[in-house]
Amino acid sequence: MTMILAVMYREYRIRTTSMTWLFYDLFMPLTYLLLFGIGLDRAFDTGLSVGETTVRYNAFFLSGVITMACFGIAINTSYGFFVDRDNGIFFEFLTYPMTRSEFLIGKILFNCVLSLLQALLTVLLGVLLLSIPLLWNRLPLVLAGVVAGTAGWFFFLTTFALRIRRNDMFNTFINVAYFVLMFASSLFYPTEQLPAWLRAVAAFNPMTWQTDFLRFATIGSGNGGVVFAEAAAFLIFLLISFGAAVRTLHRGILR
Amino acid sequence: MSLPENAIEVHDLVKVYRPRSGAPVTALDGLNVNVRRGEIFGLLGRNGAGKTTLLRILTTLMPPTSGSVTVLGRDIEREGLEIRRNMCVVLQENAVELFLSVEDNLSTYARFHAIPPDQIRGRADRVTERFGLSEYRRQKVIDLSGGLKRRVQVAKVFMVEKPLVFLDEPTTGMDPINKRATLDAIREQALAGGTIFLTTHILEEAEELCDTIAIVDKGKLLALGDLPTIKSLIPSALDISITFELLTDEILADLRRLPFLTFSRKRNTIDACIRSDDLSLFQTLARLAQSQRVLHFEVRSATLEDVFLELLSGPPSPDRPDRGRIS
Ligand SMILES: Nc1ncnc2c1ncn2[C@@H]1O[C@H](COP(=O)(O)OP(=O)(O)OP(=O)(O)O)[C@@H](O)[C@H]1O
Ligand SMILES: [Mg+2]
Repeated sequence: MTMILAVMYREYRIRTTSMTWLFYDLFMPLTYLLLFGIGLDRAFDTGLSVGETTVRYNAFFLSGVITMACFGIAINTSYGFFVDRDNGIFFEFLTYPMTRSEFLIGKILFNCVLSLLQALLTVLLGVLLLSIPLLWNRLPLVLAGVVAGTAGWFFFLTTFALRIRRNDMFNTFINVAYFVLMFASSLFYPTEQLPAWLRAVAAFNPMTWQTDFLRFATIGSGNGGVVFAEAAAFLIFLLISFGAAVRTLHRGILR
Repeated sequence: MSLPENAIEVHDLVKVYRPRSGAPVTALDGLNVNVRRGEIFGLLGRNGAGKTTLLRILTTLMPPTSGSVTVLGRDIEREGLEIRRNMCVVLQENAVELFLSVEDNLSTYARFHAIPPDQIRGRADRVTERFGLSEYRRQKVIDLSGGLKRRVQVAKVFMVEKPLVFLDEPTTGMDPINKRATLDAIREQALAGGTIFLTTHILEEAEELCDTIAIVDKGKLLALGDLPTIKSLIPSALDISITFELLTDEILADLRRLPFLTFSRKRNTIDACIRSDDLSLFQTLARLAQSQRVLHFEVRSATLEDVFLELLSGPPSPDRPDRGRIS
């Protein structure tokens, strides 16, 4: 536990050296919701039909924004590996008296705290400013979805951040991955109306799983059985990604 | 558990790097070496000899390709965590948190090594004082000069006391005063019972500090022993320095015919290294001194640098016969 706390303390010291960064982390999803969300909310003035119900776009998009925010924090954190590698400190970490898992878990715990703050802020202001009809009794589910989402995406990206040695290649990878994951998912629109092939891709996309779960938890849309199957799939994705990240840390850095 | 006599045991160690592009590189090629507990062990060798590679393996950063390695009696591959609990490292590459202050660099390091928070401040005071960092405590490391950054990195390991300390060229870029402070701190740590594993290109540093010296080349051990043993590898070599009133071309031509191990000239002075069983120099000198006044004549026994140059500079030639090598 001492080691995990030490990693968290270090992440905290680093994050708080840059207030801009911290501010960006906390308010980025809100800006998305306010700028992008409001625009589409007006464009789809009659609301979106999701399953049998009709919801306002703002309410629909809230879960998408939270998913994006988790992914955003995961990008920043995994990008930190490049900064640490440039500083040389990364290899020194690996000589500290901790396991590779403790190193990753410490990093992710700190970032989960950040994600939770960010999600709470987004949800709260979404309700206050945009009158999103939030199901308050499901808030614990939202928070669970945020923690699992941040961790899943972080472990997923870590494996690539550690294997790809060039910063610019990682950037390209992130751009392409983010683009595909985001648009071939239920993040911006309901998947029911999509063409069959895109719907099939979306159904196997962890970003859809997380978003559907969060949508169920925030505004109650979706079929409970399907949503919990998706949540289970996401947890499997998380565990596999964690295993791959730890394995890469063990063997894949210096060969 | 009783501690083993050797802090480090390396047996038939091979490391082959397999870069993504290009051919595999054999960085360590069947290395055997032991480091005794409580000693300062110096690893020397040319660039690319395999020093850092060995250090990376010993510090559990990288697995060996084959061979067996134990550190503090524990297997490097199965008991990495236990080994890491008992060691600390200064890597060859810079390793500092650029965006944190000097103080925060020291305190985060201490936390990673499980130093209780209430002790951190006192330790940081002592360490910053010792490494001349007090006035920079609150500055971000990114704003410090290269040598100061290195000082921060080295200072970190003195925030903790571990039985085993690895230092890969620790004094690179430091000014003489801080180099001295670093050497003193290393020696103190050894006196307190720690084992120090050090690589360096500064041979006087190794000569002054190390109880045992190993010279590696192309991943193989070339020589191993204490300083007298290493020096005995070039049998009784002597460093000489002669200053003539005027060093003429004729004298120079005469001198150049002698079988020097090393030879250099600066104005009227020549510095060279000879074998002490080779008396031809003294005969020649006696002859030359009749035609030209000798202002200064000095003879010293060979330094580690002479041995290093002799063992490592190029293939043996007829006038530089291969010396007895041990391993
Ligand atoms: N990550 C790597 N991938 C491929 N080859 C490597 C890698 N690291 C080192 N090498 C090669 O292994 C050999 C030994 O390198 P090493 O860094 O151990 O040398 P060194 O003795 O520490 O040299 P120096 O005195 O310059 O620090 C060199 O030929 C080097 O090019
Ligand atoms: Mg090196």
